[in-house]
Amino acid sequence: MAGATIDHMISLTILISALLVAMLMYSNLFATAVAYDVNRQVATKASDIMNTICLSPGNPVNWGETNATVLGFGLQDPDSGGYTLSPYSMMRLSSSSSGSQLVEYPIGSGVYYNNISANFGDAIYTPLGTCIDYDEVSDLLGITGEYGFNFEIKPTLDVSVSKVSGYGHLALKVDVTGSGLPLGGATVRHYLWHVIKTGSSAIVPYYGVNSTDSFGSLLLEYNAIADVNEAYYFISYVSLSGLNGVGYYSQDFLGPYPQFIVPLVSNFDTGKVIIAHSWGVNGYTQTPVPAVDFNATFFVLTSDFQLQSLEIANSSSADTGKLNYGVSGAKSNVTTTLPTSEVGLLFITYKWNNYVGSVVLPWGVGTLGINYSFGNEFSSAGYGFVATEIRQVTIDGISYQVKVSVWKLGS
Amino acid sequence: MRTVEVLFVIVILLTAFAITTQFAVLPSPSEAFGTNLRGLSQSTLEILDAKGVLSETVFKDISDPAWAELQKALSASLPLNVVYNMSVYDLSENSEGVVTYELVHSISDASLGANSEAVSSLVTSPDVTFTQDPQKVGESTGQNITLYILNCSDANGWWVTGYTGQTLATEFYNFLSPYFTTTVLINTTAQLGSLLDGTFSEGNIQNAVVINTFGEAVPIPSSYAANYSGDLAEYCYVLGQKVNNYNWNWVSIVGYPFYYVTNVNYFSSVDNGWGIYGMEDDNVKQAGLNAFLQGLNDVPYSHNSNGITKAVNVVYFSSEALELFNYYGVYPNDYQTSSRALSKSVLLDTYGLSATELFTRPSSDPNYIPAATYTNSEGGAFTAVGLTRTPDARVAVIGLLMYYHPTIYKSVFGAGSTTRLVTLQLSQQGGA
Repeated sequence: MAGATIDHMISLTILISALLVAMLMYSNLFATAVAYDVNRQVATKASDIMNTICLSPGNPVNWGETNATVLGFGLQDPDSGGYTLSPYSMMRLSSSSSGSQLVEYPIGSGVYYNNISANFGDAIYTPLGTCIDYDEVSDLLGITGEYGFNFEIKPTLDVSVSKVSGYGHLALKVDVTGSGLPLGGATVRHYLWHVIKTGSSAIVPYYGVNSTDSFGSLLLEYNAIADVNEAYYFISYVSLSGLNGVGYYSQDFLGPYPQFIVPLVSNFDTGKVIIAHSWGVNGYTQTPVPAVDFNATFFVLTSDFQLQSLEIANSSSADTGKLNYGVSGAKSNVTTTLPTSEVGLLFITYKWNNYVGSVVLPWGVGTLGINYSFGNEFSSAGYGFVATEIRQVTIDGISYQVKVSVWKLGS
Repeated sequence: MRTVEVLFVIVILLTAFAITTQFAVLPSPSEAFGTNLRGLSQSTLEILDAKGVLSETVFKDISDPAWAELQKALSASLPLNVVYNMSVYDLSENSEGVVTYELVHSISDASLGANSEAVSSLVTSPDVTFTQDPQKVGESTGQNITLYILNCSDANGWWVTGYTGQTLATEFYNFLSPYFTTTVLINTTAQLGSLLDGTFSEGNIQNAVVINTFGEAVPIPSSYAANYSGDLAEYCYVLGQKVNNYNWNWVSIVGYPFYYVTNVNYFSSVDNGWGIYGMEDDNVKQAGLNAFLQGLNDVPYSHNSNGITKAVNVVYFSSEALELFNYYGVYPNDYQTSSRALSKSVLLDTYGLSATELFTRPSSDPNYIPAATYTNSEGGAFTAVGLTRTPDARVAVIGLLMYYHPTIYKSVFGAGSTTRLVTLQLSQQGGA
């Protein structure tokens, strides 16, 4: 009798154990299958969104060059097709919805500008009223409430420029890498604009074409320019077997002062740009307020990466003048008009009391090789998988990589 | 004993699990988690060839430094965890048309492993120039044929919804002027009068092609309108006679030919019944086409208002016409709607015309011809496209090219090896 009971207990224990193991195995199997299926949906959606971003110009097709309401989203350049992105459409994306990067100008006017940051004080300030934000893009893509996304657009080639001391004059080093690998033999087309402190001319330009050494480096010396207390702007366009990159470096001589001039894009349709005294933009209180002499030049970037100066049309003032802030009768800003059919750089030099500096407004984000990111941050509260897509594109002839990340919202 | 039974149960459970696992096929991890390497590969090839660098490099000798630069560019443009293999194949075609692929060169940075994605792209040597020269219409028979396009500023169109006669004239000019030695736009009805009278100074009037871009309306010079004001259909009879005498090919691009006459000055206060002024249909309508055919056939005029068209609805281009799409690079939609197909028995049997047909006649209405060029053996031809609006200029263009069939001379200059196939194969390391 006792033997039969023990037999029952052992068999029951083994049976329950076996059932539990079987349930666990089936559960894992099904959970993995469901997870794979959802992941594949997210990956497919990422691919769809990437195709929409890179291979569709949106609707209207030239929405980046106008103030028109955007009815369909896409960043492809309608004039080029293929994997070429519009240099203007990105300027109409509002990278910030929090307001932390927004600039109000004039202060208190309620007119805000979106800030697409670059280094060295250069930035693209675009009118917020005509920008579209994440929620609108999400609606246009038809994924609101279902998927979250962000995309990052960054140059394929990393072109870093640094100042090298110890030469007794200005020396700049250009380092070219791609995916971390130094790129020797790359062609570097470089420009340097030296801002002159005195005299009638605003700048002295320098230009040259050289190649990087086997370490991907190029050293450039400018004997006529001291390495301190000078203002200059250096930009280089790099080419290697179909890949193109851009790097730049600038130095101002402003003593204890911040930069004097800020350009803001006022109207995409007409190419209207406001050249403003930065005290009026950033609310600086430092005194005395500089009475700034400025000189603006627009350089068109050609398809072979040459910069050619172009006379700019001015809607209300000359391309040279004086700006002040808080002084009765003085102008705190002027407007100028850039050609909407050309990409290039608006280069503005300024002087006051032996202080000199410069600022560049890239007309088309590719001309300065600006990084750009747009979208939401992934939140772990949702479904914990992010699908990514990478594609190669060009913007203004500069090689870029677009990385799209997509995740499913909800659990 | 029960322990043994339980063991049986366990065996059954494990067997069931094993069988279920066989049927539950999961997607591969690369599908569920990996980057779309095909898209990355395609975009990489496009970017490298954006300025023609890839095309230039793959035709160079494999010892050329450009290959090393291409490899650097590939390594620099792809993420570090992606390995690649780029292969270039030379394409050659033997006399029997069999294409063979011969590997020219291959560059890679690592072994690709089992899972990889590849795309390919055909590139053409930058040393090659493709040219395409059309033969001029009439050149093969020693004729100097002029193309006249009616572009009369003092005429209105009908059944040309979405266009005007003038915009259509521009389209026809762009499509057809390469095929003719001389192309002349007839800009007023007065110039049309000179053309009809044989006094127009431009082009060669004899053997010409005349395209009426005004749809169902035909421009009429004021003097002709005055002469035939009692029976405007007789103007169409005169047109038919002129087509016969000058050996013209008169082209009606859409709808019912010669249904209205138009002259915005002479008929300034008259509309066609649909609010289009400068257009008259009294005594014209169906009688216009009958009168034209009488004139073309050089039989005495008699006013005949019998309709000779029928709506046969959807019609398909004939296989002969479809072949011409690629040959001439003109691509209208391969099926159209015909609401004014002409009676075969009237045109071919009564008037003895022969037809070069553009569409396969619908089996439900084999006695009606949707569009064709009708040739009169005594002289003159008439191209009628009996389709519904909105007009598609390409249909009439294909009709004319089918009738005259000018040869396209295509030539390739440059190196013997003109095309190479580039494949870029990518694989992701450390995941898939």
